[in-house]
Amino acid sequence: MVQVPLNFREYWRETLASLARYPACPEFEPIPLRSTAFATLYGVRLTSVGPYRLFGYLSIPAGTGPFPAIYFSPKYQSVLEIIPQGTANLIRSRYITFSLAGRGQRNADTPYAAMFPGLLTEGIGDATAYIFRSIVADSVRGLELLLTRRELDPARVVVVGNDLALITAALMSGATHVVAAPALFYKTAELAIRTHAYPLEEINDYVRTFPALAEAARRTLAYYDLRAFAPGVTATTLLMAGAPGTLFDGQGLKPLVNALTSQVTVHESEQSLYRDGLYAEQWMAARCGISDLQRILPEHWRD
Amino acid sequence: MPKPVPADYVSRVLKPHDFDAFWDDVLRQAAAVPLDAEVVPDPLRTSDDVEVFEVFYTSLDHVRVASWYCRPARRAERSPAIMFLPGYQMDPPIPKEWARKGYIALSVAPRGKLRSNRHFNPGYPNLLTYNIVDRHTYAYRGFYVDTWRGIDFLLARPEVDGTRIGVVGSSQGGGLTITTAAMRPEVRAAAAGAPYLCGFMDAIDLTHTYPYEEINDYLRLHPERRAEVENTLAYFDGINFAEKIACPIVMNIGLQDNVCPPETGYALFNRIGASDKQLYPYDGHGHDAGRSRHSAIVDRFFAERLLSER
Repeated sequence: MVQVPLNFREYWRETLASLARYPACPEFEPIPLRSTAFATLYGVRLTSVGPYRLFGYLSIPAGTGPFPAIYFSPKYQSVLEIIPQGTANLIRSRYITFSLAGRGQRNADTPYAAMFPGLLTEGIGDATAYIFRSIVADSVRGLELLLTRRELDPARVVVVGNDLALITAALMSGATHVVAAPALFYKTAELAIRTHAYPLEEINDYVRTFPALAEAARRTLAYYDLRAFAPGVTATTLLMAGAPGTLFDGQGLKPLVNALTSQVTVHESEQSLYRDGLYAEQWMAARCGISDLQRILPEHWRD
Repeated sequence: MPKPVPADYVSRVLKPHDFDAFWDDVLRQAAAVPLDAEVVPDPLRTSDDVEVFEVFYTSLDHVRVASWYCRPARRAERSPAIMFLPGYQMDPPIPKEWARKGYIALSVAPRGKLRSNRHFNPGYPNLLTYNIVDRHTYAYRGFYVDTWRGIDFLLARPEVDGTRIGVVGSSQGGGLTITTAAMRPEVRAAAAGAPYLCGFMDAIDLTHTYPYEEINDYLRLHPERRAEVENTLAYFDGINFAEKIACPIVMNIGLQDNVCPPETGYALFNRIGASDKQLYPYDGHGHDAGRSRHSAIVDRFFAERLLSER
């Protein structure tokens, strides 16, 4: 069982209240270079907690809609993609897509530029100042902004990403579906000691270098554990688990699955970006009423 | 099931008549720039078994390039080295795993990457088409040299055995492995996965996914520049470097790769000049190129060629 901090709800209520103090004040700038006959791309600037100005890529399909939407919550990398690498550009003809750079990522790296590795432990010794408190707020702000689009069908809104996708869906209503691949905030302290691989190795580096802060870091991470957020998720969820035998495999994620009260599907990785990617595309398309998925798959995945 | 991929696919890229002269000139310009390497210990990332350093060196156009440098804490006086080259969107990782396998390891962040973007920062997307109509200022001119200078850094290190240097990477790292193995004869073994930057003009017809889609975006907006784009890219196409590769090399591709079309992988492999070359095509795999099955092959490949001389 996860030890949920006593003030878990208060911590996040305060975070969202801080966010609410700053209106998003969005600016939408068309980007002709990345716009096509089937979709228009906009660069979006918007304000989050801090205040801090963020950046995202919003793609709107041609036509009248309403369209299903995919929100790509901030990734754990410096680069912000329009759509994930390897996704057919034609996906933008069927879905509204919105990808957001959390603070520190490219295009949202002024005045703060995040380091990778490094971000995961930035301020981790103090839960009130931990960088991910603001990044979670950024992610919530992104979903809020997407939901304001008149072209969007509110019955088909998918949040895709790592742990932040699930956390965002738990903190804010509006996501109907979630595709999440836990990597950062599931049993973090417990799993970190079982690996040398980054990003969890950042935790090991931190604890080794600052042993006096290890307990404080553990306390901070308790506010971010997916198991604590799980009861708040109402969206139908696809959990992309690791391959059998890895840290985040289906067996390892069982406590999370049990904690989720929404409908959950677990896909255990087949260690093939083709097979895993195709599964996720099919899952989303089936739930969003996309009947001609073959047309919007990458060429090398089509029948 | 997806359609089979023709193994005899032939790229339409042509080698410019002055290809070698162009790169000889670039190398001359680079050689005039002192490396001016700086090695800074990183106690936060250092552990009992691996010492970690941040490395900075100067490259073409006097751009300062960052890298991660790892050494096994317990090692021979002179050890073999691996240079790891990054993917297009990847933040160059700290190569501790290679150090744990017994190698001194350098992970290069070419210009524009995080920690190497103070002087040059075209952004992602954009790197692929930055000055794409001019081979003399195209983004990858300096980017390629940044990786080749990594070999100079390794050769200058007293703890590195300069006769046992390998290069490895996947995706863009695979493409850079090809160009580095071609241009640096000091490389004794190379492992390239799902190589990007090979068959650019083929790839933009074979797939419509980013990053190659950046070129389609550019040509949609500037169709009149197609000939110039094609001309520039021919100087940077890994297929045109491949015949220069003389060291042993292994390559892996995924037959359902949605990022770097497997057709271009075949076309590249067929042009590699080395006699000791082996291709591993993985059916049922995408841009991972069968990594889960292939990593043991790469480990064995390098161990036999670099570690066994200890």
